[in-house]
Amino acid sequence: MNYNKIVSGKAGTEKFFLGNEAIVRGAIESGIDIYTFYPGTPSSEVGENFMEIFREAGMRWVEYSINEKVAIEVAGAAYARGAKAMVGMKNVGLNVASDPLFALATTRPKNENSAMVILVADDPQQYSSAVEMDSRYFLKIFKIPALEPSNPQECLEFTKEAFNISKELKLPVILRTVTMISHARSNVVIGEIKTSGIEENFDLSKEVNVASRVYFLELKEDQIYNRLKRALEMSENSSLNRIVNENSKNPYDLGIITSGVSYSYTNEALDFFELEAPILKIGFINPLPERKIAEFLRNFKQIFVIEENDTFLETQILAIAQKNRFNVKIHGKDPFSYSKENTLLPMVGELNPTKVALALVKVLNLKPRIDLRQINKKYNLMARQAILCAGCPHRATGYALQKAIKKIKLKTGKDIYFYQDIGCYTLLALPPFSFANVKYCMGSSIALAQGVARTSVSLNIAIIGDGTFFHSGIPALINGIYNNTPILVLLLDNGWIGMTGQQPNPGSDTRYYKEGSTKEAINLEDFLHGTGANISTINHYEKDDEKYISNLTKLIFEKGVDVIENRKLNVILIRDECIQKTIKREAPTIRYVNPELCNNCGLCYNKLMCPAIDSKEEFAFIDRNLCLGCGICEEICPNNAIEKEEPK
Amino acid sequence: MKVDSYRIVLTGLGGQGLVSLLQILGNALKIEGYKVMTSETHGLSQRGGKVTCFLSFGNKLLAPIPMIGTADMIIALEESTILDVLNFAKPDKSTNLIISTYEKHEIEKDYPSLEYLLDALYEISENIYFIPAHEVAVKSLGNLKTMNIVILGYILKFLPIKRDVIETAIKENFLGKRFEMNLKALSEGQKLISKNF
Repeated sequence: MNYNKIVSGKAGTEKFFLGNEAIVRGAIESGIDIYTFYPGTPSSEVGENFMEIFREAGMRWVEYSINEKVAIEVAGAAYARGAKAMVGMKNVGLNVASDPLFALATTRPKNENSAMVILVADDPQQYSSAVEMDSRYFLKIFKIPALEPSNPQECLEFTKEAFNISKELKLPVILRTVTMISHARSNVVIGEIKTSGIEENFDLSKEVNVASRVYFLELKEDQIYNRLKRALEMSENSSLNRIVNENSKNPYDLGIITSGVSYSYTNEALDFFELEAPILKIGFINPLPERKIAEFLRNFKQIFVIEENDTFLETQILAIAQKNRFNVKIHGKDPFSYSKENTLLPMVGELNPTKVALALVKVLNLKPRIDLRQINKKYNLMARQAILCAGCPHRATGYALQKAIKKIKLKTGKDIYFYQDIGCYTLLALPPFSFANVKYCMGSSIALAQGVARTSVSLNIAIIGDGTFFHSGIPALINGIYNNTPILVLLLDNGWIGMTGQQPNPGSDTRYYKEGSTKEAINLEDFLHGTGANISTINHYEKDDEKYISNLTKLIFEKGVDVIENRKLNVILIRDECIQKTIKREAPTIRYVNPELCNNCGLCYNKLMCPAIDSKEEFAFIDRNLCLGCGICEEICPNNAIEKEEPK
Repeated sequence: MKVDSYRIVLTGLGGQGLVSLLQILGNALKIEGYKVMTSETHGLSQRGGKVTCFLSFGNKLLAPIPMIGTADMIIALEESTILDVLNFAKPDKSTNLIISTYEKHEIEKDYPSLEYLLDALYEISENIYFIPAHEVAVKSLGNLKTMNIVILGYILKFLPIKRDVIETAIKENFLGKRFEMNLKALSEGQKLISKNF
């Protein structure tokens, strides 16, 4: 990856930036001092890029914080002290960060330089999320301004504008994106990089609010509402809320109100029908520009509100229409329909131009030149599920766990339940492993297991990765140890935050990542010993351990039985490394199938479901282009038919 | 050749280098003076399942997802995956379908038969190109992963991109040895243009 491109180039140069890269550029053009974040798709690349360039860009600090709550607190205090701060997270990260954000939103830094931007990247269609969540309603709860860009160029410009607004109002400003904006790549014209105006000397006692109740209520009245009122004026006058194609005419007396990515879908759909309509494009999404919207509504007989997911804009636009007693028909999803059948646009899932076009057909009674219902046409295609990478250490864990639980059931006769967490190992919930009974959110597995263990005599197994454990699993483990709750915790330590792109966590090997030399790694094993829990550790760093699977199976069996028979909490720390990280340093020892020994029993390809193993005619077959050399298949093959390829 | 608007759908499996292909192609078109918009796939959806990305370019900025029935080109890095995006093809059968003949089967699942595939494709387009990109990648280059760039070399035939521009774009994506390797893959792909598929 070429990170240098973010900081290089004169003002006016045109780059080819991802939305997330444009956000980074916008921030360094605003003189950002500090960026803190927890990685999460689709927001991760912002932090990755900052991590690579922050020293060169003259910033003071960038960190992978341990979770979003800590991230927003670190950035929030820097903001209170006079820094230009930014914090980044995905939609569900905002839930974790919400507690301190309430207080932060009432803080009023006195420092002239202070500004704070909160990047929240939503994931409609939940491509990489446990839930689909429209974070925009949080804006109403927090009472803070928000901007929403509709392409990468706007990502850069809106980030700068967000810093300006925050500096002016002394309120944090949310920059809201969605997957198709964060991960869209396009032409972006860059500006000048600025250095911060932060001063070394400050008096923190003058900057910080001490929130006694009375004082807090005063703050709320004075600081929040008065600042929101000013934000509203800014929104009314902002060029981010503008009418596009103002003078265009259509025979339907139709105007459109939209924002963010939906704006580009709207244009694509209008082009398809060779139709023009004035569009009020909302970039400043909270507070909405009431007067500007009223002026727009006044001019039309019909308005179509086009937005993704919830009816955030539509509900407020309906209120504005009612307040002004406008006789205008407002088309949209109808906030009270709660029904798939009656709504013009879907309430859930990602929007796209075809869905907008289908809605336009209904609203305007158009005749499209192609059958748009083709969008649902399906061919008889082999279904594919997401699958663990070839060489993934979680595959060995899944296989051993499957064998161990059979034995535990046989010995104890108890039911066994599984609690999944957020990470690649969530894929163990799918065949051939199918370990999932309950899954909620980051860090919840260990507590979920306790809830069922406390109300039944079953064996309850929490499956959690190292990144997620550090993020929010630790309090739940301490809760279990303190309360002596009999559960089995499998801590799948692969050394990195695997799913979002192998970012480091506090346990990661500091030799193998940028900035590692400035960090102190936390030894997970020592940490666990410190809690007083019953810990067993198994390592698979050396891939030539021929008894790894059987040792792991035995360990899970023994500890599972211990939980049931002695009513004791047990933790098994399973240590290996995310294969995507390993292969960047070492060439794998590729395995092959010796056809003379293989009797095609199918154990390897059926029970491991490794993308590199297939069956061809009478034998199992390992694709040497895909094998990453974990060696698990070699150990489990009952005929010793899988062998190591000689290194070339 | 100057293009007003052109829409490409790219599909394949996670790990096949779809995103690199998208970045290089997009960057080259940007250098050629177009407004380019692409959508990439990151995160969990990359893990082995089907991945679909889009690239649109022209004299104005288009959306990160196109309308169905409007694609000028559909590229599949894995043969069967094209079936999932055929509704993006134009109704006049003019869409170029570029299909890598690489097949990734899965245990105990029925892979679509060639007959079924061909029936579906001929109903959709008159411009179908089957490219043995994986064979070229493995035999000539010894690296399956260069399949995406072999395809890139081939599709240059349809796109307003000069050779030196695409080289610049490849250089911005791959450093050192990987640059050399991918440059070779590009040339191998371009060689296929003179052959009929």
